[in-house]
Amino acid sequence: MNAAAIKKILGYLRPDGQLGIRNHVAIIYTVGCSLVVATKLHNLFPVGTQLFGIPSGCRLREPPLRKAVALGKHSSYAAALVVGLGCEGTEAYMVAEEIAKSGKPVEAIKINEEGGDLKTIEKGSRILTRLLQHASLAERSEMSPADLIVSTECGGSDATSGLAANPVTGAAGDLLIEAGGTYIHAETAELMGCADSLAARAVNDEVAHNIREAIVEAERRSFESGEFSWGYGNTLGGLTSIEEKSYGCLGKSGTKPLQGVLHEFERPPGKGYYIQIEQREAGSFGGDPEGVNQFAACGAHIALFTTGCGSTTGGLIPVIKVIANPKRMQLIEDNADFDATPIIRGEKTIRVMGEELYKEILAVAAGKVTKSEIYRHYEA
Amino acid sequence: MSRRTILLHAKDNVATALTDLKKGEQVNASLDDISVDVTLREDVSFGHKYALRDIAKGEEVIKYGLPIGKALNDIRAGDWVHIHNCRSERYGPHDLKREKNIIEGSKK
Repeated sequence: MNAAAIKKILGYLRPDGQLGIRNHVAIIYTVGCSLVVATKLHNLFPVGTQLFGIPSGCRLREPPLRKAVALGKHSSYAAALVVGLGCEGTEAYMVAEEIAKSGKPVEAIKINEEGGDLKTIEKGSRILTRLLQHASLAERSEMSPADLIVSTECGGSDATSGLAANPVTGAAGDLLIEAGGTYIHAETAELMGCADSLAARAVNDEVAHNIREAIVEAERRSFESGEFSWGYGNTLGGLTSIEEKSYGCLGKSGTKPLQGVLHEFERPPGKGYYIQIEQREAGSFGGDPEGVNQFAACGAHIALFTTGCGSTTGGLIPVIKVIANPKRMQLIEDNADFDATPIIRGEKTIRVMGEELYKEILAVAAGKVTKSEIYRHYEA
Repeated sequence: MSRRTILLHAKDNVATALTDLKKGEQVNASLDDISVDVTLREDVSFGHKYALRDIAKGEEVIKYGLPIGKALNDIRAGDWVHIHNCRSERYGPHDLKREKNIIEGSKK
């Protein structure tokens, strides 16, 4: 498919008015104890379903619950099946009811009410059959770039991330915003030393205050725990300090005014550029897939993902993997979606490649599948 | 010929190698009307930094026009600049022996 030929994005219109670019049925486990049955259901219906849930025990844990509900309401899902054990704090019918407020069909089953694995799988299979047929009848509606929420994650950074891959996503984000769309990034732990430049871009004093607070808080937490966002690959790739890595990360932000700071899996209240504050202990593992899924929980349709070291992970929404390191690109081309190495070789400018990446975003919105989707890198 | 180095900001006192550079090589880093030639005193791998001018102990090392850390000792123009001679006030890998082994290992 030629990205330049994309003229029309035909989205999926959801009952709450959201427009989705993908059309799945969500299978949501509400406790670690229902993971195996939920996984078996997912494996029985691998086409058209995605699996995620609440990786906890008996006790109700708020952050993963809120994330699962926000994800369940995501525009990618036409319907959802909630699978619980029955005695956990995160009650399956309650989760289903919350998600159903978005107007989509949501059903719930409990393993210890149904009578064990086999009966739950049988009943769950019938429900999924029905929900998949429902999904196939989803109403289509034309979308414009202004309807899109695009996010950016960086993982496995090296010097090329800051020199090319991040700035190119920032340039594409600028173009999306000029077309009326919404662009978000996160990772405040990788914005150390960037508070002044971001506050200067805030639309008002309150937003300036909020982003300063968020960065100070991330810094405080890092000093307290002694844990900084740093891997040996960063050192190996030539990065010397968290500031150097952060200035490189700031390249993701583009140049547009900062409209606000997003907390608690809220959707961006308006259009333009936002920074999301990542929620701790909301997922089964940290790192980049969790970052991608938290963007999804804020309503993001697509995640751009820059990597210099060659991270291969994805998430629940389509991930466009951007690589600017020529050696890494050669090695890991199979997992790459966008080749930004011409910038490092001095053959193309960030601006030109930003336009190409923006076209790729529109192509993916129009249905072009990314490597993360083809390889089913639906980490959650 | 493709670029061998990149200079990101007029204030910077380091440039970044865009290919593996060798000790003794004369390299140029330029940005707009700035052009700096130095002879490398060490090998500098792809993605790593070298000093464009002498940087005194305690002086800030500047990249992207912003401080990334301070010089741990006097750095001379053409030196490789990394964790062995530049330290962040916030965070950078400080287990020099371990980190250096990894980096040296990667050069082989």
